[in-house]
Amino acid sequence: MSTTTTTTPNTPVFSVDGLWKVFGPKADRIPADAELAALDPADLRSRTGCTAAVRDVSFDVRKGEVFVVMGLSGSGKSTLVRCLTRLIEPTAGTISIDGEDVRAMDKARLRELRRHRAAMVFQHFGLLPHRTVLDNVAYGLEIQGVGKSERRERAAEFVTKVGLEGMEKRRPGQLSGGQRQRVGLARALAVDPEVLLFDEPFSALDPLIRRDMQDEVARLHREEGRTMVFITHDLSEALKLGDRIALMRDGRVVQLGTPEEIVSSPADDYVREFVRDVPREQVVTCRTAMRPASPQDPANGPAVRPDAPVAEAIEAVARAGAPARVMDEGKCVGVVDHAQLLDVVAGVAASTGAAEAADSHAAAAAGSRAAGAARVGAAAPRKRGQATPPPPRTSPEDV
Amino acid sequence: MATLTVPTSRTAIPGILRNRAAAKLLALAAVAAVLVPLANSHWGSNTWPHTLTVDLSHPLATASNWVIDNRDTHPLFLYGFGYVSNAVVLAVRAVYLTLLAAGWTGVTAFGALVAWRVAGVRLAAGTAIAFLTCGALGMWVPTMQTLALMVVAVLTSVAVGALLGLAAGLSDRLDRALRPVLDTMQVLPAFAYLLPVVLVFGIGVPAAVLATVVYAAPPMARLTALGLRGADPEVLEAVESLGATARQRLLTARIPLARKELLLGLNQTIMMALSMAVIASVIGAGGLGDRVYQALASVDVGAALAAGIPIVLLAVVLDRVTAAAGEGGAQPRTIGWPYVLAITVAVALATRLLGTLDWPSGWTLHIAEPVNRAVDWMTAHLYSGVPVVGGTADWAGHFTTWILDPVRGGLQWLPWWSVLLLVAALAWLIGTWRTALTAVLAMAAIGVLGVWEPSLDTLSQVLAAVAVTLVLGFAAGVAAARSDRVERALRPVLDVCQTMPQFVYLIPVVALFGVGRAPAVAAAVVYALPAVVRITAQGLRQVDPAALESARSLGATGRQQLWQIQLPLARRSLLLAANQGVVLVLAVVIIGGLVGGGALGYDVAFGLAQGDLATGLVAGAAIVCLGLMLDRVTQPTERRARKGA
Repeated sequence: MSTTTTTTPNTPVFSVDGLWKVFGPKADRIPADAELAALDPADLRSRTGCTAAVRDVSFDVRKGEVFVVMGLSGSGKSTLVRCLTRLIEPTAGTISIDGEDVRAMDKARLRELRRHRAAMVFQHFGLLPHRTVLDNVAYGLEIQGVGKSERRERAAEFVTKVGLEGMEKRRPGQLSGGQRQRVGLARALAVDPEVLLFDEPFSALDPLIRRDMQDEVARLHREEGRTMVFITHDLSEALKLGDRIALMRDGRVVQLGTPEEIVSSPADDYVREFVRDVPREQVVTCRTAMRPASPQDPANGPAVRPDAPVAEAIEAVARAGAPARVMDEGKCVGVVDHAQLLDVVAGVAASTGAAEAADSHAAAAAGSRAAGAARVGAAAPRKRGQATPPPPRTSPEDV
Repeated sequence: MATLTVPTSRTAIPGILRNRAAAKLLALAAVAAVLVPLANSHWGSNTWPHTLTVDLSHPLATASNWVIDNRDTHPLFLYGFGYVSNAVVLAVRAVYLTLLAAGWTGVTAFGALVAWRVAGVRLAAGTAIAFLTCGALGMWVPTMQTLALMVVAVLTSVAVGALLGLAAGLSDRLDRALRPVLDTMQVLPAFAYLLPVVLVFGIGVPAAVLATVVYAAPPMARLTALGLRGADPEVLEAVESLGATARQRLLTARIPLARKELLLGLNQTIMMALSMAVIASVIGAGGLGDRVYQALASVDVGAALAAGIPIVLLAVVLDRVTAAAGEGGAQPRTIGWPYVLAITVAVALATRLLGTLDWPSGWTLHIAEPVNRAVDWMTAHLYSGVPVVGGTADWAGHFTTWILDPVRGGLQWLPWWSVLLLVAALAWLIGTWRTALTAVLAMAAIGVLGVWEPSLDTLSQVLAAVAVTLVLGFAAGVAAARSDRVERALRPVLDVCQTMPQFVYLIPVVALFGVGRAPAVAAAVVYALPAVVRITAQGLRQVDPAALESARSLGATGRQQLWQIQLPLARRSLLLAANQGVVLVLAVVIIGGLVGGGALGYDVAFGLAQGDLATGLVAGAAIVCLGLMLDRVTQPTERRARKGA
């Protein structure tokens, strides 16, 4: 597929195509060899001594979205995010940022990319223990050669932004884990990057602090609309933050879609097992659950928004004892009654579109990209929870 | 990533071979069964066969004479070493004159202020008292001589060490090349370094400084490399992700992150330099070491003590101040560097105007005479014939007759090939076949050098001293590990003992036991004991508390816990303690040649004193081989895990 599209509003920030990262002796031959490339990890290791951390991954990160890469440990997600700025050198495939080939960049250009366009937040913070909070936040600017007073001034602004005012003079060792990660976040924000890369940023934090930090990131995203690539192993974190989620297993993307798509139509048994315990009524929206309105339906009764989670409709239907109308800008676009709502909770609603959803997995990137392009307002930063119909229903409208 | 090895399917092997130790011994026995009859038929003698030696003394003497003849004419010396030598002399002289110009008040004030700046008030007071004591003992000028030599040597060592460490820290290939060299340099006795520099530079200050640099630079290089390599990889990754250049990464992240190791390296370098600067008095270093050396040569314990106390004080102060600088970081600022300099200059000027630049002669305490009287009294009353316990000289005599002589006799009675076999077996059982091979080759090299007999003499002293050290050290270590009170009592003693230069230990043993082999062994035991006690206690205390707790919950007695849990689990530490003990004992046994220990140490001292460098160099080479052999024999090498460490 073409990754060299000219800059239009729809140009993805990151476009990754057929990306491989293989560790081990003579790693280059593996992506090139179809037979070796098809081996499962254990066979590959015993045959060649190599480990394929990322295998043939393709996806686009659109401007303004939170793109979550989620998978269990060892699934290759951390390697993948490091390949984006070549902190780890990819073995094969293409990566482009705003249409520019990252793998073809020379050292100076790559430094430029790291300094201005993509900044990363790390799991264990990666702070310099001998510097104060302020100087840690200013570090990225210092690397760029910004003068001392200017960088301190700008750093102080971001220290305030992440809620650490008054702690500028402390050292990382004197902060709690959550505070340290705020420093890490401020350091990344201070260089005003186009994309923020998060590598499991909250895994090392206590659950309560983790929730705080997730809210913080959601708030920042709401306020600034910055593009984010977010790596996590925590499904609820992925569902909470992600506009789209790429689910990885053994180096491959097994499904790519909105939280709702992943929960309501898992691509395979692995994903199904993964999302089994997710409270579907919190993720699936009324737009997905509704049936077309029929003339028999009452014209009054409770109304819900199409992007409201099903849980909201359940409450409305239970209170009123009648089907609820799904109202979009004053127009009734559909109806949800007991039957639809129970289907969602029981997890059988997806069965209608399961066949189509399954082949969207085969061409996960291409499929969802096509689907995404068709979506209303897909180019603009979407709000959390805004629902889109699953692929089968969008295809007729495809431009 | 790709280091996971596939488990190989094992074919059935006889039960006895499953036991690794037994397998090694069997393999060795098989090799020996072939080689020994062969060797015995060709060169059947107990001592190393004469036909297998290479006489190096003649070519070495020629080389040494050539150097002496050409030192003032050959371009290599005129334009190469000559410049080095002149630069060293000039630098030492400049520092020495500066120190004298600052006067005793200026130096004391500077020392105290620096200590205050980096380590707080208590150490500042300690530093001032230490300097004043040096003056009060009438040792101000020698102290300044030693200090001047130290300053130049330490600065050079730090520069050289840091550069080497930087290279090894940044390049894997250089690291692989340097590491074994530095590791080996660390275990060689100080004495072995003296002769090669004397050969090139002759006896004098340049040789002393360069020997000190060669001896003191390795810890700096090792720790620099270690610090650079030990930096948190995620921090480095974060720095790289922000687009830092290699230079920025080095200057803003790697070096500051290695601060602790760098300062520890500085601390160790200073301690090693002091130790060597004192020993280097044998090759013309002057200063405190020279006073000790001269005094010991005439068995004048009082004068030796008067020069020895300043050495100890200097060592303790330097160690504590640099160690505190390494640990500190968050302590409140006390006084700025400009003020330190300004106050020092002011004090020095004031003293100069008052005309009391030299230590006032009326303030000098003459401790030499009273000490000598005390020693005389001891000689008269405690040396021998004390009822029931016997005297110190009797003990030394008994030790020599009943332990040293039989061990030496036994070693020299053993056929040469059986000594090699013993070395191989021990080294292989504890380490790997590589260490065993190195050890055997080193031992064989001693034979080839033609110093088999004196080397075995030295070896016998080492073995006796190590045995005593380990028995005492393990006992004290176990006691310290099991009782907090014992540990608290021992800690300050161990701290002081570990910082004292080797040379100083000779003074008390000469006072107690006179001269001979037994005092050399005693000095070695005293010198090596603190390290052994400390490593043993640490190893025992680090034993997994869960294992101990489970043993206790099963009702194990204290003795059972010790023998069944603590000692087996601390095996690695105990082996390390033994290894350190051997290395340290050897260093002092060699120096013991100066107080009648004889053997290799005496050969080196004799070679230096008589200008017979060939004899000295051969003995020095034998010391290197002996050190290498002893280190490898006791080196517990973990299999393959060591490379990455």
